[in-house]
Amino acid sequence: MTNRPIRRVEASFRDPSGFLFTRDGVLYRQINRAYQDEYERLIDSGLYERLARAKLLVPHEEVDEPSAAADAAFKVIRPEQLAFISYPYEWSFSQLKDAALLTLSIQKKALAAGMTLKDSSAYNIQYHHGRPILIDTLSFEPYREGEPWVAYRQFCQHFLAPLALMSYRDVRLSGLLREFIDGVPLDLAAALLPGRTRLNLNLLLHLHLHAAAIKRYAARETPSSVAGRQMDKRALVGLIDGLESAVRKLQWDPGRTAWAGYYSEATGHYAEEAMTHKVALVESFLDEIGPQNVWDLGANTGEFSRLASDRGIPTIAFDIDPGAVELNYLECVRRQEEHLLPLVLDLTNPSPGIGWNNRERKPILDRSKPDTVMALALLHHLAIGNNVPLDRLADFFGALGRWLIIEFVPREDPQVQRLLSMRKDIFENYTQEAFLSAFSSHFHVRRSEPIRKTARSLHLLEAR
Amino acid sequence: MTFTILSTGLLGLLAPPLRDLAYLDPGSGSILLQLLIAGLLGFLVLMRSSWSRIKSLFRRGPEPEQEEDDEPSDSES
Repeated sequence: MTNRPIRRVEASFRDPSGFLFTRDGVLYRQINRAYQDEYERLIDSGLYERLARAKLLVPHEEVDEPSAAADAAFKVIRPEQLAFISYPYEWSFSQLKDAALLTLSIQKKALAAGMTLKDSSAYNIQYHHGRPILIDTLSFEPYREGEPWVAYRQFCQHFLAPLALMSYRDVRLSGLLREFIDGVPLDLAAALLPGRTRLNLNLLLHLHLHAAAIKRYAARETPSSVAGRQMDKRALVGLIDGLESAVRKLQWDPGRTAWAGYYSEATGHYAEEAMTHKVALVESFLDEIGPQNVWDLGANTGEFSRLASDRGIPTIAFDIDPGAVELNYLECVRRQEEHLLPLVLDLTNPSPGIGWNNRERKPILDRSKPDTVMALALLHHLAIGNNVPLDRLADFFGALGRWLIIEFVPREDPQVQRLLSMRKDIFENYTQEAFLSAFSSHFHVRRSEPIRKTARSLHLLEAR
Repeated sequence: MTFTILSTGLLGLLAPPLRDLAYLDPGSGSILLQLLIAGLLGFLVLMRSSWSRIKSLFRRGPEPEQEEDDEPSDSES
């Protein structure tokens, strides 16, 4: 049984306390002897129990599973398995904000139990059953009176700086997290933020002065003015409170995003009857195939994603528009939805592999594969808006999942006409026949239904 | 310059040396900034708790048991 192959998780190498590995598709975490005291403190202090019960920290079981590196091993634990790993640059504003607030809330509870977070990476937070949760059980160490927070800079880089930039400048600056693996450098954030952010005490301290301090003391000896100084616990609590207050006050209003009003205002091309019929068709397709999980690509605010997630099917609603994803997430929170995860994704440039050896954070399509893909009112944006030929689209969808629920929006549809209005129509081949013929190289067509009151059609395809 | 102003105006306590190193580089600037503003942060916490005590004197009815905790889902039973 010890011969079953193990694979160390590529993202798990920095912290000598332990590491993640998989065996038979199950994720385990090895705890090294170097972390034994801290782990026992986490358990014995009751902090683990308290955090796990409140669903703030991923629960785990200690297991007899053979370790992956026996000479260093203290224990192996099996954390509750997550359905999907998402990264902060795929989150909307409020998703990153809620992850930040979770981190601070955990730090406060840790301090109350005599422990502290030794790191505060946004990658340690995942969305699980609709809510953010800390997944790194080895993030805690005993708090020692007088010491500053070692994860302070990481928190500011991973959370406060991108949130402030998204709030004060442009929500798309979350993309900086994709560029900088350890969060947005604070000098860059300070340079990009408007000057008025200096009038906010917390942003002044934790971003602007923080950036200046990092620059000033980068290559210097400890100045004599701070030698022998310490940070008492009240000050540390004040630091966490200040960060929390700063994060809470950051707002972003998605307002009228590119797509958010798509269904509500565009009654011209989405007559009520057509919409009702499309909903009924999607529902009947879903009931016919009974998916294990669904990826809704181009999900907008998730109206159709909910046809799946409300059936208890784990569903991810991807959209390119951070505003639509934000509205979708806020709706998930309002309805306390457990089966729907909205994420930002540009299909024309999906999340790549980044970090060490390009393997630390995986490309989105390598993380898991869906059983069923929904692509409603999407194909024309890729085929015409982005000039992707139909056969390449078929290759892409063919490599994704077993089932594909896909809408074909023909050339005469007002939405396609709008895409073509200012450009040369080089898409003679964009017809339903050509679409079905291209996709038939990867799929069997199980059902093809016209959508009432429109020239559109909905197709249920099964991979060959 | 800001740091000189901050550091001269703050309480410095005799303290043990900084902890043996963390596995992540906490950044010397980030550690020093915290030490420099520690007095201010502690003062703000004190102010806030005094202020809420003063406010509670004028509040009618029983004082709500509310610590600075925020997770509504985190009901401890």
